[in-house]
Amino acid sequence: MKAVRAVVSLLLAGLVFWALDNRHGTFPALGKLLDPFTGFWRNGERGDRIPDKLVVPGLRNEVRVVWDDRRVPHIFAANDHDLYLAQGWVAASLRLWQMEFQALYTAGRLSEVVGPIGLRQDIFNRRFGLAWAAENTLRAVREDPEARQALEAFTAGVNAHIRSLGRKRLPVEYKILDYRPEPWTELKCALLLKAMSYTLASGNRDAAMTAARDALGEGTVDRLFPFIPPLVDPVIPVGTAFDFEPLDAPPDGGTGDPGNGPRRAGLSHGAPSSAPNPGSGTEPAGALFSAGFLPGPGVGSNNWAVAGKLTRGGFPILCNDIHLELALPAVWYEVQLAAPGVNVRGVGFPSVPLVIAGYNESAAWGFTNAGSDVLDWYALTFKDDARAEYLHGGEWKGTAVREERIKVRGGRTVVDRVVHTHHGPIVRWPDEPPFAGMNVPAGAALRWLAHDPSNEFAAFYALNRARNYDDYIEALGFWDCPAQNVVFADREGTIAIRHNGKFPLRRKGHGRYVLDGSDPADDWPGWVPHEHVPAVKDPERGFVSSANQLYAGAEYPYYLGWDYMSFERGARINEILASMSDITPEDMVRMQADVLDIRARAVLPRLLEILEAAPMSGTERACFEELRAWDFKARAESVAPTIFRALWDELNRLTWDDEKTGDMEMMPRPWSEIMIDLVLNEPGSEFFDDRTTPERETLADIAGQAFRGAVADLEKAWGPPGPSWRWGKVKGTRLGHLARIPGFGREGVEADGIAHVINAIDRVWGPSWRMVVEFGPEVRAWGQYPGGQSGNPGSRFYDDFVDDWVAGRPYELVFLKSADEPHPAVAGRTVMRGGR
Amino acid sequence: MIAVVICLMVMGAMQALTPFWWWVMIVPFAFGAAAAGSGRKAFWTGFFAAGLLWLGAGLYFLLAGGGIIAGRMAAMFGLGRGWLMVPVAALVAALAGAVSAYAGYAVRAARRKRAGR
Repeated sequence: MKAVRAVVSLLLAGLVFWALDNRHGTFPALGKLLDPFTGFWRNGERGDRIPDKLVVPGLRNEVRVVWDDRRVPHIFAANDHDLYLAQGWVAASLRLWQMEFQALYTAGRLSEVVGPIGLRQDIFNRRFGLAWAAENTLRAVREDPEARQALEAFTAGVNAHIRSLGRKRLPVEYKILDYRPEPWTELKCALLLKAMSYTLASGNRDAAMTAARDALGEGTVDRLFPFIPPLVDPVIPVGTAFDFEPLDAPPDGGTGDPGNGPRRAGLSHGAPSSAPNPGSGTEPAGALFSAGFLPGPGVGSNNWAVAGKLTRGGFPILCNDIHLELALPAVWYEVQLAAPGVNVRGVGFPSVPLVIAGYNESAAWGFTNAGSDVLDWYALTFKDDARAEYLHGGEWKGTAVREERIKVRGGRTVVDRVVHTHHGPIVRWPDEPPFAGMNVPAGAALRWLAHDPSNEFAAFYALNRARNYDDYIEALGFWDCPAQNVVFADREGTIAIRHNGKFPLRRKGHGRYVLDGSDPADDWPGWVPHEHVPAVKDPERGFVSSANQLYAGAEYPYYLGWDYMSFERGARINEILASMSDITPEDMVRMQADVLDIRARAVLPRLLEILEAAPMSGTERACFEELRAWDFKARAESVAPTIFRALWDELNRLTWDDEKTGDMEMMPRPWSEIMIDLVLNEPGSEFFDDRTTPERETLADIAGQAFRGAVADLEKAWGPPGPSWRWGKVKGTRLGHLARIPGFGREGVEADGIAHVINAIDRVWGPSWRMVVEFGPEVRAWGQYPGGQSGNPGSRFYDDFVDDWVAGRPYELVFLKSADEPHPAVAGRTVMRGGR
Repeated sequence: MIAVVICLMVMGAMQALTPFWWWVMIVPFAFGAAAAGSGRKAFWTGFFAAGLLWLGAGLYFLLAGGGIIAGRMAAMFGLGRGWLMVPVAALVAALAGAVSAYAGYAVRAARRKRAGR
């Protein structure tokens, strides 16, 4: 009996031990996590203390880090090596878990940490070739001594920090998910660039547009998606002269060399297996986790620079707000980097060395996404089911295979054999379900610029040290992908903007539809010369600007793409700047918080005229009056923006979705300017006719139906009209934690703005970094981002900027000349020394 | 009472010196196997020693800047307030300590019976 009792109690104790020492599904290992000595309790505010001294192995000289009262590090080193090594240490001390999680996510290694739930996303990222792209980039970086040194030193700094961590000092997410950081590598730095390229340069509607063309005809598609849409004010002012002799556009047939030689590295040649690929699973993917770079309609940005002739101080002012996924820990962190030859301030991504967007004592720069077409799909003809040969130029060419081994935590390693052609990888096979994040044409090969070797780190290195316009041009010569509208201003008074990147030479419309992978004439035959990209310097109007819209007018000789963001933000920026003089930085801060909705201003008066004639219920009448009294500002406390958004969405749904016909899975939505044009100028357009009814509808019918439907939907979701309909609440802005851990993000933030106004705070996207830089005898700057410097959810520096960001109250940025400079905002100083 | 204090101090020392949570099971097991007078005594000694250790340490870290992280963890577990993480952690340790101390005693009792035969 006693023996039985002993065995049973031993088994019970063993069971308790096993239960507390292991993770169960998504439930954490409670013993480790709750342990006050090494568990989550050690991730409190004590970690915010600033150390006076640190031993950082690898440093050659002493490095001094000055921390300001918002925990921004100002790093002063004696040489570049120490500067980037210290940056690596500091970045890891603030954001280690985020850095590694983003790298694993991008590389398609999420399943190693989260288990089978991450598998579908991993397969997509591997098929899309993100790690392969990073390897190609790294090869190019290693040929450049300066960029190579920056990455190697940064990596050494991150690893020195990782080695200094015992279990109790690990970021809390490691404790919750129960794993440990692995060594950092330079590849992980390159992966971050590829995550950005995926967010900013992978957008395509090729599959849907092809289906639309086949069903509706090319004429209709060209009408709904004109190459130069109405209302758009392009990035480069219309009428700008381009003083170069353009290359000829490639003809429709018989172009030769696709120029893809170096991209074959890392592949093993041979017949791929015809066994079904593991991507056939049906588990959902997508927003379960995020690298903080969720692509989507809210990704965009604004930038502009005004010349001294328009400013009160007589020097240029540069402004930039970059719209990305709103996430915690934040995408950005602020940093100042100083060493002989460089003193630069701004924001960086925690996973890479250098300042990404910012300024130094002589120059400032900022970004908006270019959106030009650098991704194509090529339909393939395979010889047989072995998929070992495909037709190209009348010959059978061999495919290559990259074997991807996905280690799944708590499961078997999944081997995915990714088939590559000279175009690029096949992402999805016809027998596989669609991916959640992208409409991938089945069986087509992906040609994506981000797969090619490039060295954007060299561009950042040079921008950090830029003194003048020539330096800016030279720096941007290193920049291929993701293409950006790079705005620039310097102390000498120059302002400039450049739609900068590497663009394939295309005939007009090339790449809008899925291309023929067997026809060499459809391959990319060459590139737009870097010196021919759309650019303008010191224009007569005294300002330059961009907001992801079309790059230039009809006078620009190259075709770069067709799917740019709608006109609103760009037009609003230009109308404000054109009306201003005597501009101060305060004016610019106010402008970044501007929420005037010029879409509504353009279209709503006409819609209200139409609606007024129709009979209305009490609720509809109240909504109508709200809209009529509206000043077109997308304020959080207003109800009208809620009603207009619902009306607009319903109007678009009713107008466009019934156009779907033939094999179309969905009707691609034309941009807002097309709808506005139809409402104002073509109320009898056939697009307003509801094809599902025998009657012929016009705008009046559809607008009335849309309004009644919108009001009914809102009432159903939010109750009777009133404060519960306020825009901030209905929009429900959230800053989600990257691993979607409940309680670690910020939900239900009520903020002004919407994606198509300057202050583009939408539901999950918004201004991720706002910056205003004023030159003068001293450079001054203001900035803010939604989040906080620390990646520790237990720190008050984790999300302490969020409320000021919502209110549009930026901070004046501390920019020190030396480590000894007294400044009221200095909170502490750390001396780093080398050692073993 | 003395056994609780001794167990608590040994566990505290081992936890402070090594990164392992499971001392709150090992030490009570050893106590149960070596010195406990009865199963009931073993159980309650393990319970109070482990529970009080994590209660005290948790309370200390809660007050020493742990309020924010405790609040987030409580949200993660669906508990209302951060301080609830202190008794929750203490209860987990207490039950683990109690079960293992009892197991230690039961093993000793079984061996003694066999030796007595």
